[in-house]
Amino acid sequence: MTSLYHWIFFLLSVALLPVLVLGTIRKTKARLQNRIGPPLWQPFYDLVKLAHKGETLSLTMCGVFRLSSIVVFADILVLAWLTPWLCFKPWAPEANIFMLVYLFALARMFTLLGSLDSGSAFGAFSASREATLGLLVEPAVLLALVALGIFFGSSDLRVIFSLSSVSTFVSSAIWIAAGLAIFFSSLVELSRMPVDDPTTHLELTMIHEAMILEASGRNLALIEFAHALKMCILFGLASQCFLRAIPQFSTFNIYAQAGLNIAGLLGLAMFVGLLESLTVKLQWRKVPEFIAYILSLSLIASFTAIGIGAIK
Amino acid sequence: MNFLVALTAIPLTSVVLSLTKLKVEQLRVVIPMLTWLQLVILTFLSWPALLSNTSVLTFSVDFSIDKIGACFLLLTNFIAASSITHSAWFFANEKLLGRGEEPQHEKLFYVACALFVTAMSFVFLTDNLGLLWVSIEATTLFSAALVYFSRDKHSLEATWKYLIVCSVGIAFALLGIILIFASSQHGAIPGGSMSIRLLVEHAKELQPKLLQLGYIFCLLGFGTKAGVFPLHTWLPDAHSEAPAPASALLSGALLNCALFAICQVTAILKVSEHALLATSLPVIWGALTALAASFFLIHQFGIKRLWAYSSVENVGIMLFAIGLGSAPLFFFQALNHSLAKVALFLLSGNIIQSAGTKDLSHIRGILQVSPSWGITFAAAAAAVTGMPPFGGFVAEWMILSQCENLTQGIAAGVLLFALALSFIAVSLHVGRILWGKPKHQTVVHPTFASTIIPLLLCIFSLLAGITCLPMFFLNQP
Amino acid sequence: MTITATEICVLTAALLACLMVGSLHLRVNLWLYSLSTLCIAAATATSALEHSEMGPIFIAILIALLKSVAIPKFFSWAIDKLHVQRDLGAMVTPPLAMHAAILLFALSFILTKEIPSPAGSVNGWFGAAGGISLVFTGLLLMLTRRLAISQIFGFLVIENGIYIFALTQTNGMPLIVEMGVLLDVLVGVMVSGLLLFKIQKSFEHIDVAQLTQLKEY
Repeated sequence: MTSLYHWIFFLLSVALLPVLVLGTIRKTKARLQNRIGPPLWQPFYDLVKLAHKGETLSLTMCGVFRLSSIVVFADILVLAWLTPWLCFKPWAPEANIFMLVYLFALARMFTLLGSLDSGSAFGAFSASREATLGLLVEPAVLLALVALGIFFGSSDLRVIFSLSSVSTFVSSAIWIAAGLAIFFSSLVELSRMPVDDPTTHLELTMIHEAMILEASGRNLALIEFAHALKMCILFGLASQCFLRAIPQFSTFNIYAQAGLNIAGLLGLAMFVGLLESLTVKLQWRKVPEFIAYILSLSLIASFTAIGIGAIK
Repeated sequence: MNFLVALTAIPLTSVVLSLTKLKVEQLRVVIPMLTWLQLVILTFLSWPALLSNTSVLTFSVDFSIDKIGACFLLLTNFIAASSITHSAWFFANEKLLGRGEEPQHEKLFYVACALFVTAMSFVFLTDNLGLLWVSIEATTLFSAALVYFSRDKHSLEATWKYLIVCSVGIAFALLGIILIFASSQHGAIPGGSMSIRLLVEHAKELQPKLLQLGYIFCLLGFGTKAGVFPLHTWLPDAHSEAPAPASALLSGALLNCALFAICQVTAILKVSEHALLATSLPVIWGALTALAASFFLIHQFGIKRLWAYSSVENVGIMLFAIGLGSAPLFFFQALNHSLAKVALFLLSGNIIQSAGTKDLSHIRGILQVSPSWGITFAAAAAAVTGMPPFGGFVAEWMILSQCENLTQGIAAGVLLFALALSFIAVSLHVGRILWGKPKHQTVVHPTFASTIIPLLLCIFSLLAGITCLPMFFLNQP
Repeated sequence: MTITATEICVLTAALLACLMVGSLHLRVNLWLYSLSTLCIAAATATSALEHSEMGPIFIAILIALLKSVAIPKFFSWAIDKLHVQRDLGAMVTPPLAMHAAILLFALSFILTKEIPSPAGSVNGWFGAAGGISLVFTGLLLMLTRRLAISQIFGFLVIENGIYIFALTQTNGMPLIVEMGVLLDVLVGVMVSGLLLFKIQKSFEHIDVAQLTQLKEY
């Protein structure tokens, strides 16, 4: 019976949280600019609107373009099932760190293929940028997760995020370092503010938006939703990491944990909104430097984990 | 307390006098007299330590002195007194040349000199490793003011290099001292101690790992200050940019201080069970330093840089002597080097003033310009390269003959080669300086007065060589 | 395996210093230095509490006031006067240098493993590692920077490292030595700080890489 409830809650979260997170970011930005802003559910209406629209396809396209959005959507759904980004999750198979990282890479690869298939020049150069960023940010994410893996002696995220693990000062430090690394690399992965401006209208500077420039109608709705869900997963993972740094977190009851989890997720979304209002987009040449800083956070986390392991 | 008053009263008087409205011309008479007076007072103070071979004269908790320390103390103050006396003529000539128009700079020079010499005296007087470090760091800070004397771009660059390289180097020496202190806390002395004499007494009980590590760091740190080979980069710049009396002080007194610190630390390790490190490392390093410096001597473009590299070479020889474990030999070599090198630097100052350039390729025919300069210059150069009648020869001969094992023997071979090379290089340079036709208009007319101090120093060096008096005094065959 | 409050402070200080290598902005460097030194003052205070002595508390307050407030204030004033904001960086880019610093931080744990722990204490490994790491970081900072002012920062970090080493590896340095060291560092920093202005005045820059007039040949 509990597992049924888990499934219901989980499916509801998968359906609603992406919309809510996107809405929160927009609302925060609007409030910071002294506007009332669109309602929280506006992204949902946008998606519905897109789903009703017709679709335009370029003549040079082959099937890969349509296929890519479907594959990406499916891939992200699988990731949502596997990754422990929520406390209340139904049963899932082993969530191996490396498998997860490469499932993310798979999604990225199909997005790239789709944008190349569209045949537009913007798509091609944004794809090249996305590939560069992906190449740079992958070690950072992997190293952060591996640090956790080393510390808890498992490559299975289910084990790492299981609540029975003891919390000490050192483990808190590792959780925070890893959480920060995951959060900042998610900004790169999702093409959010210091790296790419999602609201920009200048194709020359866009990364993610230029890749989906040719998509329209239902296809676009699918891509948008998958992207929002990916954001949820990554922010959820980061917020889980931060919550694990609280020493007594494992003793809280399940409702408190779930509440804190969602609150943390939305809090990160609000933080992103704040970040996007305050910062300016980094020069493209400075982006590798930004990623290098993230990498050093992961390095700190993994060295600490190795060091503690050596002492044990 | 009396001792501290006696030690600092005169330098403080010089500082105060220099800061008052006294004219520079008056200061040029008063300050040298005060420094000679200081020498007399210190001789009087350290007399008991000089007479006895074994006993240690203790002044207060952290201050005491033994025979070698007293010798170095007097040598340093003698060098300081000579250099400061000579600086009176030097600055008078600068004025004739139209340089050094600001009397304020000269007054600051005297202030820095007084503080610098006091800091150096403390190096020999303190028994505490920590205070030893503090004194040596203080010498860096005060002598930086001397290097910066001419206030142009070159001296600024030299000062900056000097300050940064020496500060970082000395920081490593502090790390070494901390390690040695930590080694004494492992049961040897309750609560640990920084007293050198206590550490030597308990050397066998010190924690060996920490002691060896500390020794290496100390060697590295104080070695930077002494200018041993890869860490000597600051030395030629600082020596060549400082005014001549200050270069003389840096070379003749400051390097001895840093080497004395190495000698003190080596004394601790030598008694412990890991004497091999203390006997081999300085010997090898010293020989390599001498070798590298003699290569640098071959191609030189500045007259004072030449003598600076010659100082590096002599530091190598002294480090060799320290490695042999013979403090009297180290002192003898330091004595000869200081006397000859100070004479050379002071004379070079005169020559630079007269020729208006530091460039070796433009300085010719000094014998023609002033025979008294030329002859003294030749004598001092002979003394510094270790020509037979001078003390340097005796010291180097004794150092080379003291080698015991194979490592030391090989190092001695390298050292011998370096000595020969530097002898050839220096002779060639000195020959070109002495003979030939002067390339320049003589601006400053050479006076015999400006030769008095260098000549005296050369005569002392000659006496030390002929009589070997210092060695008999130190009870060394 | 327990970790004491002192060791936490020391390691935090070492990591903050590693972050210094990553930024070329002089003000960011100053803030990080100030925080790192504050951690060191805290380490002094906590170790004094662990041994229940009162003398080192005085030293801790002195460090907090002089090294983490007065010196950064002085340099912040100097930065305003010299009109410099950023270093130019030398050899490697700052993020890579920071990676190197973190690698050296890890390496210092291996290097200091063999150092015998101070007498009467269970272990001093983390303290020694933190100290050596700070020394490495300071050297790295000096190597990868071009401005004279950054060289002084590097020296200050080295000095912090040595202090940490003394704090954790010995059972209390003699007070007079500690004061002497502190005084010397202060005077040294002031002297080199004043030299900065002279360099700016004569050369119209404080770029050490361009101070090459005294090179051989």
